[in-house]
Amino acid sequence: MLAAVVVAVTLLGPALAPYDPAAPVTAPWQASSAGHLLGGDVLGRDVFSRLLAGGRHLLALSLVAAVAATLAGTLGGLLAGWSGSRVIATGADLLLAVPVLLPALVVAVSLPGDAAVVIATVLAGAPLTLGVVRDAAAGVQERGYVRAARLRGERTLEVLLREVLPAVAGVLAADLGLRFVTALQLASALAVLGLTDAPATGDWAAMLRENLAGAALNPAALAAPALLLALLSLAVAAAAHAGLRHAFGTGDT
Amino acid sequence: MRPSLTAGLSRAVLAPLRAVGLLAAVSAAVFAATELLPGDAADAVGAGRASAAQLAELRAERGLDRPGWERWAGWAWALLHGDAGRSLLSGRPVVDVVGGRLPATAVLAGPAFVLTALLVLLGCALAGRRALRRPGDAGGGLATAFTAVPQVVVAAALAALLSGVLGWVPPVSLLPAGGGPPDPSIVLLPVLTLALPSAAFGVALLGGAVADALRRPYVTDALIRGVPAGRILRRHVLPVLAAPALRVLAVVVGGLTAGSALVETVFGYAGAGELLVSSVAARDTPVVQLLALGSAAAVLAVLLLADLVPVRRPS
Repeated sequence: MLAAVVVAVTLLGPALAPYDPAAPVTAPWQASSAGHLLGGDVLGRDVFSRLLAGGRHLLALSLVAAVAATLAGTLGGLLAGWSGSRVIATGADLLLAVPVLLPALVVAVSLPGDAAVVIATVLAGAPLTLGVVRDAAAGVQERGYVRAARLRGERTLEVLLREVLPAVAGVLAADLGLRFVTALQLASALAVLGLTDAPATGDWAAMLRENLAGAALNPAALAAPALLLALLSLAVAAAAHAGLRHAFGTGDT
Repeated sequence: MRPSLTAGLSRAVLAPLRAVGLLAAVSAAVFAATELLPGDAADAVGAGRASAAQLAELRAERGLDRPGWERWAGWAWALLHGDAGRSLLSGRPVVDVVGGRLPATAVLAGPAFVLTALLVLLGCALAGRRALRRPGDAGGGLATAFTAVPQVVVAAALAALLSGVLGWVPPVSLLPAGGGPPDPSIVLLPVLTLALPSAAFGVALLGGAVADALRRPYVTDALIRGVPAGRILRRHVLPVLAAPALRVLAVVVGGLTAGSALVETVFGYAGAGELLVSSVAARDTPVVQLLALGSAAAVLAVLLLADLVPVRRPS
């Protein structure tokens, strides 16, 4: 619900912005006033307008990265679960311990920051997705509807996509949410570090860095994008965890 | 030999071997990601102004025309002898460049680690108390939720609060020019920003293990029989928690190394993490390689420790 509001703001926001988000219209770090709801930023641009325009790049990038990670993990997990292979089972601990930001920074040496976000999200997330999907798909071979499909003469890939995939759809939706949270964390980290191609019209994460030095003059310029990012990641993570609990039928809180 | 002894021995031999193998794999991955992707150091130095002949000469001079695995082997061999090459930016030895930044990072990471440990202990104590009082409750929701919040948001929120609203600390943590120990007010913001997300991760991962350990039948049984709480903890709870605690330690160490890159850059603090980010931006490959490998080695070392501790499964 909350996430839907944020997404709606992101899509419609640029049209609703009262000022040009890329042009200075007031004094730098001016406190909020009637004309400028959240005051001005480091260059005197309207914080409210930049807030409305600043979600697009970040959300689109995170979504692409999350979908790529879940897709890669799903394909690998379906195949591993079908064939019963345990090759990729090891190393989950290791993946958990390696901080995602590190591979992203290393890859960012030779590739643009946006590509680094996608690659690091896939590297860190796909193996986790793979494990979940593999476990969900492991026993499915013996189920009646799968056996029926095979007896109809459908090929393995068809059975996997038509029969097995729908069975794990709930888990996948929740998993996509978790990958999105990781991607959002990575994308905002790299944007703050100045390594992504943040658009001139604003970017919530980049706004944090731009307005940090003015924290005493206009706290709203810092607090507003921080609040939006926090609410979005909290809402998506909560929905994902609820989805996982529902899919696995554990716990009732 | 008794089976447990052979198992212990093979663990003591195999675990370090596995760690060394993983470190080699990580170094190859770091090398491949930084050196073998399109655009090499010669392009960076030439900056688009050098002619093709000059570039070829530069590549031959630096050995960039040799096959990738050969260059990786040469790099790793030199690294084992303490030679990490020279910075492309300043020409100084990379070991000196990185070494010069380490004390500043230690000033942040040390207190952040202590604070994280205290917060994780506190969180686990609370999770344990909750598990004993309300046995059916899963708990841990707050810490898990907090792990979703990006670290930059924590940085911004703390800066807005401590520096914007309360005015206690400066929003930018510039180190004194002449060296010397930094003012405590300067490190407060970065240390808090480092410690809070790591602590949330630690509690989210370990709190559940603590609650599980306390809910075991023999623990509740011992409590009913009136065995002193301290002895129950020592005998039945802490041994089971050793292995998960070490794994959480590895996660925390990883979180602190990666977090320092973000936190130092955000607050303008000239430590090793800031060096990593500025070297990435400047494509200063040798510096990035050493820093990334060092961080990975720190995580692997703790994981190795976790492997060496005998796992005691609750019966």
